Amino acid sequence: MLAVLVPFVSRAAPLLAQHAAMHGGSRVDSLIAPSARSIVPMIERPMIPGLVGARPAITPFVAGVGVPLASLAAARPRRVIDAADGDTVDLDARLVRRSVAGRVFTAYAFDGGVTGPLIRMRQGATLFVRFSNHIDLPSTIHWHGVRLDNASDGAPGLTQAAVAPGASVVYKVHAPDAGIFWYHDHVREDVALPLGLAGNLRVESARADYYSGANAEEVLMIGDILLDAHGPIAFGTEAANFALMGRVGNVLLVNGAPSWELRAGAGDVIRFLITNASSARTFNLSFISRMGDAPIKLVAADVGRFEREVMVPSVVIGPAQRYVAEVRFPRAGDYYLANRVQAVDHFLGEFIAATDTVGRVRVSTRRRGIDHGAAFRTLRSDSALETELARFRPHFDRAPDHELALTTEIAGLPIPVMQFLSIDTAFRAPIEWTDGMSDMNWLATTREVRWILRDQATGEENMDIQWRIGRGDVVKIRLFNDPRSLHPMSHPIHIHGQRFLVLARDGVRNDNLAWKDTEIVPVGSTVDILVDASNPGRWMLHCHIAEHLQAGMMMPFTVGAR
Amino acid sequence: MRLRAALVAALVVAAPSDPHRFALTSTGRVKGASGVVRLVPASSPFGVAVTADGHTTYDLTLTVAGLPDPPSLGAFTAYIAWIATPDLGSVERLGAIAQGRPVAGRTSWNKFVIVVTAEASTRAEKRRGPSLLVGRSPSATMQSFADHPFYNTGAPPF
Repeated sequence: MLAVLVPFVSRAAPLLAQHAAMHGGSRVDSLIAPSARSIVPMIERPMIPGLVGARPAITPFVAGVGVPLASLAAARPRRVIDAADGDTVDLDARLVRRSVAGRVFTAYAFDGGVTGPLIRMRQGATLFVRFSNHIDLPSTIHWHGVRLDNASDGAPGLTQAAVAPGASVVYKVHAPDAGIFWYHDHVREDVALPLGLAGNLRVESARADYYSGANAEEVLMIGDILLDAHGPIAFGTEAANFALMGRVGNVLLVNGAPSWELRAGAGDVIRFLITNASSARTFNLSFISRMGDAPIKLVAADVGRFEREVMVPSVVIGPAQRYVAEVRFPRAGDYYLANRVQAVDHFLGEFIAATDTVGRVRVSTRRRGIDHGAAFRTLRSDSALETELARFRPHFDRAPDHELALTTEIAGLPIPVMQFLSIDTAFRAPIEWTDGMSDMNWLATTREVRWILRDQATGEENMDIQWRIGRGDVVKIRLFNDPRSLHPMSHPIHIHGQRFLVLARDGVRNDNLAWKDTEIVPVGSTVDILVDASNPGRWMLHCHIAEHLQAGMMMPFTVGAR
Repeated sequence: MRLRAALVAALVVAAPSDPHRFALTSTGRVKGASGVVRLVPASSPFGVAVTADGHTTYDLTLTVAGLPDPPSLGAFTAYIAWIATPDLGSVERLGAIAQGRPVAGRTSWNKFVIVVTAEASTRAEKRRGPSLLVGRSPSATMQSFADHPFYNTGAPPF
């Protein structure tokens, strides 16, 4: 046993340095190994014993090979498109020259911008989007959270064929719900999300008082990117790498940039519409300052408002989720948008406090316009939602219609990786906030790692599952994240084209409901959801960690005639 | 390949299978006593309750069985449950153990141990009596407790 433990001890010091550097702010450069634009370890420290010289068993993929970087236009900041009902918008995916944290590299962009355009439209309106693919991979656009016509969902192989390079397609985007949504590639999300193929869709409510008054509104797309000294760590051509944890970046991004700034006046209330567009990272966001944290009021989730607004210490947001939060900045000074988590070093058996600041709100003494302080202090209830939920409440306590277990199978990885994974699972963290095993994660591809949705009634898995649901049915699904695998991990489960309520977590009733399309299922947890299956068609249910999706963690279901 | 499969299976079996439950075991002073702590993530609109600085928050419920009447162990009238950080830098009273009634609490500590002691009073605010049952959170399984005072039956360290 001692012989097994010795290598772990030898890794301790470099791991501590790694955590300190990766999560102590922006000090990452000195720990990133130089590379030759191929797959290389991203951390300057010894590989674990037995793995020196090991490489993922895939062909490296780097965007835009053969296209001179200098020939590409620089990525421009996000622009805003105000769309009226019936408008047609042209949106292309193209190669751009992008600069992040001192690296200049080839990336992808919708409309040449990182992030893609912020499209604003009215609730109930319909927009036509003419999408042209000019990148070097097939692509589609998925309109995440939007309950639109099935044919426009952008699910390759299910609702359309992937759009080949040089080809185009038209999407009809009808927006029945108000709030913040997003659109993104759905063919190789593991490549496209870090490289920039994502944008927001802001749907204005038909109700003037849907949100409380605010001095300003900010749409924030949070993400990350994993860089070495030259640019993004290479992806895989035939299969995705980072198949265990998903690709967790070492540079955090707000609206595609490693820094973000906003100016406000003392006492201002800012409405933040936040989207987590990262491949795998869950954030814990708050606004910190020497004067104390700015108070946060949580207003809405993915597809609508909460029954009751609540004050929260921070916003916990998993991949693909959205939240609407109002924040009041009471005093003049600087407030920093921070991601504060407890990272786990499985080798040392320790938790390490990790804080990254990703933006700043500079608050002056002068307020801008109306004082919304009284409205901010008022926690509103949504009577319209209460009325709507009456139809669903009779279903809350009945037995689940379907039960899914979330698990994994791993085979073919080097034995040292398997051994270290067992140490990793001495403690099964409900959520892994950071990548504490980056070299093993990098080596693991979707050839060796299979992430699984298993129908508990039939034993069918992933794409073999074929649920048929009547249109208008209310379907209760129990999601159980089985901790008894070699590498359990939390999963943000996303359902296309429908909306759902989270009824209970670990047997405890959720007493503040909101319509959602993506919910985190922590390791070992059981989450009951109630799906409003009102939108006909063939749809997907999948984990929104991009690499888990690539590793098979998806299933179809059909909503149709009873 | 067969060796690899066996190795993996053995390692998985060795790891604790339920991150939401752990046992309290006897320190040896009383035989046949045991306890179970059930951890439920605290309620949160996000599904995962964490503090602003990222500590996961759990509601915990402790249930014990098999403890004899306190006076049978000496000058004691009550059993008290305590929660502490592994280094004992912080110790808090969870509550007195009434027969058949669980003790509830909430914690945001990354790792913790729970100990049940025999005390002279149900209102004891400091642990003075001997530890009878002890257990550690799933997160604390990452470290050794070989020399931990709670796992010894000797005098308490504070």
